[in-house]
Amino acid sequence: MSNADKEFGFAEPFDLPIPYLHRIRTFYKTLGYGKPYRWAQYSDVPFTALSKPLAESRVALVTTAAPYQPDKGEQGPGAPYNSAAKFYTVYSGSTESEPDLRVSHIGIDRKHTTAEDMRSWFPLKQLKRFASEGMIGSITDRFYGAPTNRSQKRTLGVDCPEIYERIREDGGDVAVIVAN
Amino acid sequence: MGCAKDIVEQVGVPRFLFSDFPLGNPAGKPNDTNSQAFTMKLALRVLETAVGPRTTVQSPLRWSDDAAWKLDFSNIEQLSEEEIARRKAEFDRNKQIAKDRREQDIKPAAAAE
Repeated sequence: MSNADKEFGFAEPFDLPIPYLHRIRTFYKTLGYGKPYRWAQYSDVPFTALSKPLAESRVALVTTAAPYQPDKGEQGPGAPYNSAAKFYTVYSGSTESEPDLRVSHIGIDRKHTTAEDMRSWFPLKQLKRFASEGMIGSITDRFYGAPTNRSQKRTLGVDCPEIYERIREDGGDVAVIVAN
Repeated sequence: MGCAKDIVEQVGVPRFLFSDFPLGNPAGKPNDTNSQAFTMKLALRVLETAVGPRTTVQSPLRWSDDAAWKLDFSNIEQLSEEEIARRKAEFDRNKQIAKDRREQDIKPAAAAE
């Protein structure tokens, strides 16, 4: 950090949102893999204003976390990346009680966080609290699990329509997607 | 709700609450109810008040006073040759496992349709 930086109270130069696209591309290129992953990218982005106040809306919760599977290896706090715990079809679970969901199948930060508290990636408990306080109308009876599939064809053609249908079936007005 | 700002913004979403936290904490800090409540409430406010697509709101919460954690994730400049070789072997191993799992998950579902 330069003297001028200190004088003006500037932050460290690296204190910005992490440039993941650049990091991940460079990482796999250096590892010797060829064609880099093509991340989804859209110019036109949809937007629908709420048709009624949030306090009268039924909220759906969508997660990329996976149900704990005892036969699929390490998935607990501090687990290394575990692709055996991945899932490739949409699932749903009851929102009546808190499920046991894990993120060992996702490329989370394994040095600075340990995945020890599900509520840091699956906010059902807080969502329930805001339902009971009246900030939202209600929560759908089910939450929805979105596969982290490398196949964009499958994500767009199968998984997204399936999640949408389930939310409609359950009377959801709006959806909160929590990505990991 | 998410922690990867550039990725989500490249995709393009109607509304986005960005938490500048390590990946894996899009709903607030672990073992910190106040942080989780604040994050969920802010996400709901973004949902209700955004005026158009690509609305990003950054949570004012900081992961820690020291921002050095941001230097580590998949940063090739921070890794030794041995570590790079180890990561490559691990990546290949997991890729094969994922491929097998995908075939298990998808093929029976397709056959049942």
